[in-house]
Amino acid sequence: MLTSPEQGATPAEIRKKAGEGIVIRWEGGHSSTFGARFLRGRCPCAQCVSETTGQRLVTDEHIDPGVRIETARTVGNYALHFSFSDGHTTGIYSFDYLRRICPCEDCA
Amino acid sequence: MTNATITESLILDALRSVMDPDLGKDIVSLNFIRNMRIEEGIVSFDVNLTTPACPVKERLREQSRQAVLSKVPGVSDVRVNMTAEVRRPPAPETSRIRGVKNIVAVGSGKGGVGKSTVAANIAASLANSGAKVGLLDADIYGPSIPIMMRSSGEPEMKDGTIQPVVAHGVKLMSMGYMSGEMPLIWRGPMAHKALQQSLLGVNWGELDYLIVDLPPGTGDVHLTLVQSVPVTGAVIVSTPQDVGLQISMKTLRMFQQTKVPLLGIVENMSSYICPHCGGRDEIFGHGGAARAAGTLGVPFLGEIPLDSAIRKHSDTGMPVVLAEPDSVSARALSEITGKVAQQISIQAFKTIPLTIIEE
Repeated sequence: MLTSPEQGATPAEIRKKAGEGIVIRWEGGHSSTFGARFLRGRCPCAQCVSETTGQRLVTDEHIDPGVRIETARTVGNYALHFSFSDGHTTGIYSFDYLRRICPCEDCA
Repeated sequence: MTNATITESLILDALRSVMDPDLGKDIVSLNFIRNMRIEEGIVSFDVNLTTPACPVKERLREQSRQAVLSKVPGVSDVRVNMTAEVRRPPAPETSRIRGVKNIVAVGSGKGGVGKSTVAANIAASLANSGAKVGLLDADIYGPSIPIMMRSSGEPEMKDGTIQPVVAHGVKLMSMGYMSGEMPLIWRGPMAHKALQQSLLGVNWGELDYLIVDLPPGTGDVHLTLVQSVPVTGAVIVSTPQDVGLQISMKTLRMFQQTKVPLLGIVENMSSYICPHCGGRDEIFGHGGAARAAGTLGVPFLGEIPLDSAIRKHSDTGMPVVLAEPDSVSARALSEITGKVAQQISIQAFKTIPLTIIEE
């Protein structure tokens, strides 16, 4: 696990674009663009993913298409935290996780 | 008229040949040279290093002197004044503790490996070298720093913030102060709140280094630390035997996964020198931590022998680096402190700021 490239994902630049979501340019040059609804539907918190089975309980279809990211902040050195407009605030998105779920054509 | 030919740029050119071995750049490009004066063939300047605990300080002083003497004609003497200013790694202003430049976590896999002893001695040794140092005892299960640093007073509240106790030149805060002689019987959320208060609610003032003595293992306190503040780096203390090392690796991986740079591994209880016959016994084995560091590509910071001086002075509240600086254990701990300070300086230059640009 620790040696896979995803585990070494380090952002070079993080942008929060009003109304569009988050854009991360990674070290090494790849760039990922995450929409608010996409991120909300992949929240890794224990309310959205079952702690015992690992099954995802909240997916895109449960999410209001107009959801917005109200605030974004860094968590220590390793993750991002978002406050969504639907009131959900419990997810901590590690950079390794974000790199893994990159929705671009090459990665998806 | 030889004086006229000595110029500041000639001297700086000569000093470009002096490299900082850790940062891999010359001391002029690193902007270390300050307050240069040239008077009658005598050149004086400051070399402003990144830590007062720099282990290569004397070597850099001599190299700077020789570089100017040998390369600039007409110089009769060179006076090098070694100063230091601890740099802070870049981090968003909102997430750090105001005034605290570097936060260093000291962790271990299992308990009883001497983590607090190492933390107390690194803190005392850094303070002794002239740095401004704080020590936060975050070991909720066995807060031992108040004993090891002989601090009898308790922190006081003033204007809504906690005033730390000062012992041996180190500002102290311990989770142990929160309950007196009673044990801290806390579930996760309590530990989380208490650590946040100890980090952010304490009037630390200006600190070059805040050393955080973590509980053994990986738990709530660790997570709260790495989520609340940008940690400059972590030091792992382990004993040499396999069972200790394997558990230490878990703590090490936790820091890797939360992107806390690893400053290195310390091997404690590395060997025992019999005071009667001088024979050496490797009670827990030897060299395991160095091998593990090599495999993982993490710096090995040094080994500390089992030495009754450490135990004696820890129990009486005077870190061995201050009480018996010439003992084998104190020399090992001072050397480790120098290496930790080096690694912190390297991190401060390497880290890129992690900020979110709002558009």
